[in-house]
Amino acid sequence: MSRFAISVFGRDRPGIVAAVTRVLADAGCNLEDTSMTILRGHFAMMLVISGGAGIFARDLEAELSPVADRLDLQVSVRSVSDDVTTAQVGGERWSAAVYAADQPGLVARMSEVLADHQVNIIDLETRLVGEPDSVYVMHFELEVPAGRAAQVQADLAAAARALGVEVSMRPDEPDVL
Amino acid sequence: MAVRPVLRLPAPQLKIVAKPVARLDQPAQEVADDLVDTMGAYDHCVGLAAPQIGIGLRVFAMDVSGHPKARSCHGLVVLFNPEVLLGAEPKMAREGCMSVPDLTGNVLRPSRVVVRGTTSQGSTQVIEADALEARALLHELDHLDGLLFLDRVAAPHADLFQRRTYR
Repeated sequence: MSRFAISVFGRDRPGIVAAVTRVLADAGCNLEDTSMTILRGHFAMMLVISGGAGIFARDLEAELSPVADRLDLQVSVRSVSDDVTTAQVGGERWSAAVYAADQPGLVARMSEVLADHQVNIIDLETRLVGEPDSVYVMHFELEVPAGRAAQVQADLAAAARALGVEVSMRPDEPDVL
Repeated sequence: MAVRPVLRLPAPQLKIVAKPVARLDQPAQEVADDLVDTMGAYDHCVGLAAPQIGIGLRVFAMDVSGHPKARSCHGLVVLFNPEVLLGAEPKMAREGCMSVPDLTGNVLRPSRVVVRGTTSQGSTQVIEADALEARALLHELDHLDGLLFLDRVAAPHADLFQRRTYR
């Protein structure tokens, strides 16, 4: 079995998901993990798919090209290793929210603090909202190494103070019911 | 008295609406015992409903004793034919389920509930619960209706990020 990473990007309109996934289904591929959303009016798809032996990235890209042309999409397909698993920090689950008047470098500074503590970002969504005084909103889902959460919180708060942004962090452990 | 395997998706028994327990006879009591035994075999398990062990009857077991997120605590609870009388103060929290391994999701549920059901001894029990115990009750009652937390999960990002069209 071979595995591919596909990205699709283009002006949002109805029918993009149906058209792209139909090509992949007809090519005998199986969608695995995907994330698809609207980013500032553009529809962005990220897919990891598996396909049978004898399927190559360039073939998939060629099969997608009629759809890409018709819907004005940028499409990229590349082969990825199929033995990759999520980086296991094995820590505690936390969420963090950061928001502020927009300024360049917010994500870089906050995520540097997290990286310094070996915190794994599992999910990050950001949005720029409001006009003319734009507000930048970030929502992190984090895996924090055991015992480090208090220090991470303190360092995030210090970085936030220096930037003039608001930050909050809360535990997000699921309850198995 | 037995520890039974806990069914996992895509087991079809998890999606069936369970039938009311007509009589608290020996087989019904055995189901209750098996639920308690199976729940006890997993130290992180605070509740288990009959469909999760492949039995389509309206009965569940729950025990939130000692859980850090529990406020109300009625100890070990086994109820036949339970029903929700009242639910209030919805809160969002992340749930997992033994029947849905590897996934968790944010689910909005009332954080205060009143549930009524029949105990193993045949008497009516009314439970007023909050916090984790309320969430666990509602999660188990959902199993009796063939509902998993996946059926109730808020769109992962829509609760925070509203979609809008940019021109």
